[in-house]
Amino acid sequence: MFERRLYFHVDWLLLGAILLLAAVGVAMIYSTTYVTTPVGGHPGTQPMTQMYALGIGLVAMLVCLAIDYRMFAEHSLIVYGGLLLLLIFVLLKGQTQMGGQRWIPIGPFHLQPSEFARISVALILAMYFGENRRGAKNTSDLVVGGVLTIVPLLLIAKQPDLGTAITLLPVFVGVAFLAGLRLRLLAIIAIACLPLGFFGYKFALKDYQRQRIQTFLDPEQDPRGAGYQTIQARVTVGSGGLTGKGFRHGTQGQYKFLPVAHNDFIFSVLAEEQGFIGVLAALGLYLFVILRSLEAARLAKDRLGSYLVGGIISGFAFQVIYNVTMSAGLAPVKGITLPLMSYGGSSLIASLAGFGLILNVRMRRFTN
Amino acid sequence: MTTNLMPDDRRSLTLRLSAVQYLVAAVFAALAVGFWIFQIAQHEKFKEMAENNQFRRLPLPAPRGVLLDRDGRVLVENQDTRNIAIVREQTKNVGDVLHTLSAATGVPEAQLRDTLNRRRREPSYRPIVLIENATFEQYAAVMARRLELPGIVSEDVPSRRYPASDMAAHLFGYVGEVTEPQLQRVEYKGIEPGSIVGQAGVELAYNKMLMGADGSKTVVINSVGREIKVLESQLPTTGRPLQLTLDADVQKSTEDAFTAAEFNGAAVVLDPRNGEVLAFTSRPAYDPNAFAAGIDRATYGSLVSDPLKPLTNRALQGRFSPGSTFKMAVGLAGLEEGTITPNFTVHCGGGANFYGRNFACWKKGGHGAVNLKTAIEQSCDVYFYTVGNMLGIDRINKWATLLGLGVKSNIELPNELVGLVPSSQWKLETRKEKWYAGETISVSIGQGQVSVTPVSMAVYAATLANGGVRVTPHIVKAADDGTGLKPVPPPPPQSTIEVTPEKLEAIRQGMWGVVNGAGTGGRARIEGKDVCGKTGTAQVISNSGRLIAQAKNKNVDYRDHGWFVFFAPRDNPRIAGVVFLEHGIHGPNAASVARHILATFFAKEDGKPLPPAPTHADLRLDYKDPYARGGGGAAGGGR
Repeated sequence: MFERRLYFHVDWLLLGAILLLAAVGVAMIYSTTYVTTPVGGHPGTQPMTQMYALGIGLVAMLVCLAIDYRMFAEHSLIVYGGLLLLLIFVLLKGQTQMGGQRWIPIGPFHLQPSEFARISVALILAMYFGENRRGAKNTSDLVVGGVLTIVPLLLIAKQPDLGTAITLLPVFVGVAFLAGLRLRLLAIIAIACLPLGFFGYKFALKDYQRQRIQTFLDPEQDPRGAGYQTIQARVTVGSGGLTGKGFRHGTQGQYKFLPVAHNDFIFSVLAEEQGFIGVLAALGLYLFVILRSLEAARLAKDRLGSYLVGGIISGFAFQVIYNVTMSAGLAPVKGITLPLMSYGGSSLIASLAGFGLILNVRMRRFTN
Repeated sequence: MTTNLMPDDRRSLTLRLSAVQYLVAAVFAALAVGFWIFQIAQHEKFKEMAENNQFRRLPLPAPRGVLLDRDGRVLVENQDTRNIAIVREQTKNVGDVLHTLSAATGVPEAQLRDTLNRRRREPSYRPIVLIENATFEQYAAVMARRLELPGIVSEDVPSRRYPASDMAAHLFGYVGEVTEPQLQRVEYKGIEPGSIVGQAGVELAYNKMLMGADGSKTVVINSVGREIKVLESQLPTTGRPLQLTLDADVQKSTEDAFTAAEFNGAAVVLDPRNGEVLAFTSRPAYDPNAFAAGIDRATYGSLVSDPLKPLTNRALQGRFSPGSTFKMAVGLAGLEEGTITPNFTVHCGGGANFYGRNFACWKKGGHGAVNLKTAIEQSCDVYFYTVGNMLGIDRINKWATLLGLGVKSNIELPNELVGLVPSSQWKLETRKEKWYAGETISVSIGQGQVSVTPVSMAVYAATLANGGVRVTPHIVKAADDGTGLKPVPPPPPQSTIEVTPEKLEAIRQGMWGVVNGAGTGGRARIEGKDVCGKTGTAQVISNSGRLIAQAKNKNVDYRDHGWFVFFAPRDNPRIAGVVFLEHGIHGPNAASVARHILATFFAKEDGKPLPPAPTHADLRLDYKDPYARGGGGAAGGGR
């Protein structure tokens, strides 16, 4: 399956950037979760867990790289079906943590199926649009693609995990856009979304979700309560300055003024400890990864590959942008992790698997 | 089955991918700008906010200086108490926490909220004490429900302890949280809100010395307020000790005698040679321990609304007619002004007519022929009516003032009030009227316009005892300037008069006779100690007025006040003072109380065992209320 010559076509630069980001993530997690006691301190357990996940993720990446992406695409329906089953299973029997029923315990690990939804949806959408001569010019195709996206989205939103659910939308928009979705249609969808969003805000959102949006708009109205994270995120980032407080010398994350800093707010900690310079470096790396991946989409041999890369990288880019914005207290707090850096095994494994597919497409651009 | 890209598709795809690339790059650029604003442009502001998050300066309250008596015995000390406080910034829902805290400790929720509201303007990281002096049960209950009580902390702080509870309460005063108006004043500069300061008595007068310097520690805390490490700590400096002139034994004897007498009132006992206060009491008293531990509203409310006004320092703030105790001032004025000699004799027929009006002597049958000595001894009213009339008000005023009456004693305790010895100028200034000679007659026996405070009466007794030096009463014997207790020189006297010894001797002989002769103060006699004194019975209201008032309201106490001023021994006096019994009916009752004080003082001086606390029966008090003794005069005079 893995031909020797393909080795030469692996995008080592992209891979290097990805691994660098993951390593920075582990370092930041180490720093944030370090347990300080009056007589010294010791590292938390999280960096080790993240390292294991990184190991598993690399294996997953290798698998996604080694097998021709067209093979995956052919079985995308099975993958998609499996995903839906897992999501339904989670809803029925999943483990509840931090206000959401998202996890399936497997031995010592907790699998979060929703993190893998983006890959699965990207696969089936790429397959659907890629094997379709007309592209996405037809409205009915758009509807089919939309339904394929909406079903897992609703299942995830039901957990409730609106943050992760939302990340499926850019996957769909990304694939549809590359598949030739008319801009006029995109505009119509956007306009249609406005009243939908309004009614959604009014009726579909839960109280705590509405509150998050309200307090984001005016964090000072409840500085000890819901606005707390937003304010503390800004303090964390702002207090970092140009060069930062230094590795393990951050105070906001370490002393837990910023809650779950090693998870959703890992970028805030990076900004605090490494300063604006560190932020620019990390943003540069992420930008490189995204642009390089888009390059892979351009180089892809077939539509399928191009759309697949487009879908995966759209979801990735959306997550990065949203999380970084939120890390600076500039967006409402949503449970959207920073791919590659945030603490969380499923998220890291899924991200690495996704990049396995992207590398796969680029690597096989000359094969038939 | 793969669908390779057609050239047409390729072009469109490339176009769209480029669009996405530019879009992503633009968004990233915007993000970089956002971070630049926070991290570079507004860095200072956020840096400060982060420091406020993590550093805490916690005060370490300093114990106040102890108060010692003249023999070095501890009068007031400190103890550790446990307070329960709230740090609001660690509490998301203060209402819930207060509710739970109330349920756990039994302290009413409204009270907790009140306490919090009073200090709501303080920074939210500063602990605000909700329950002072928490019991162990309250502490245990709070610890047990710790998880439901975020932001609730307990702290051990030194607090004031008054081992003898209400003994000399008004002298010691009490401590309490510094008030808003106090914080505005210069003397309280540098004192933080919530600090404990003296609020009355010595605690207030010597607050600066007693307070010491609070220490502090700067700690790094995490988001739940747990201390991670101490950055720096400055230990508190204990306040400096103060040695008082008070004699714990004499003080105790004073309190014991009042307790046995079951009367309210005041007593001030001085060393007439220098003005040192040996004992000082005001009754009813309060327990300053209740303030030290943070007084609850109910207790404070009952103290304030008590009709007997236990918070009032009667010794400094009570103003009463001196009654017959005033007669020595009139007698001395007559002698010094040359108006009379000690042999000047008046015939008392039980009353006399002045300016067309009859003034009665308290003794209906009259005293017959009396000279100065016998007039003092027997407290003859007619004699002093006559002398007072010869002197006129202004000469009485002059000598009463020189003896310490109608002026402040200038004791260092706060809020002393001034009594009144009238003069023609005073009347002109306050009433815009001239003084009528007829008004002088009542003043001559200590009734009418004249009023005095117990402390000024003690100075009066001391001045008569020491031969004319109006000493300044004071309570500090030694203070610590940082190198140990050093004696504090007594404050200079308020005035000194050159009294002709023979003239003063006549007064003293009279006062000796009051106690040791046929006089009214025989109860204060102590064998071999030559106690000199003078009783006084001061009307609260004229006899006729009293009959009417009592008929209206039976609950108001209209019984006469009893006075006894004293010094001893007659030659070379070492103790002088006053006992005032509020509604004590008779001056001689006050002499009974004074006897125990004098007996204790001399027993101690002689190295003999101190007399035991008297019982009520021991004092042989006279309860015969003489209100019906009639007498048509405006001033019925006392004994």
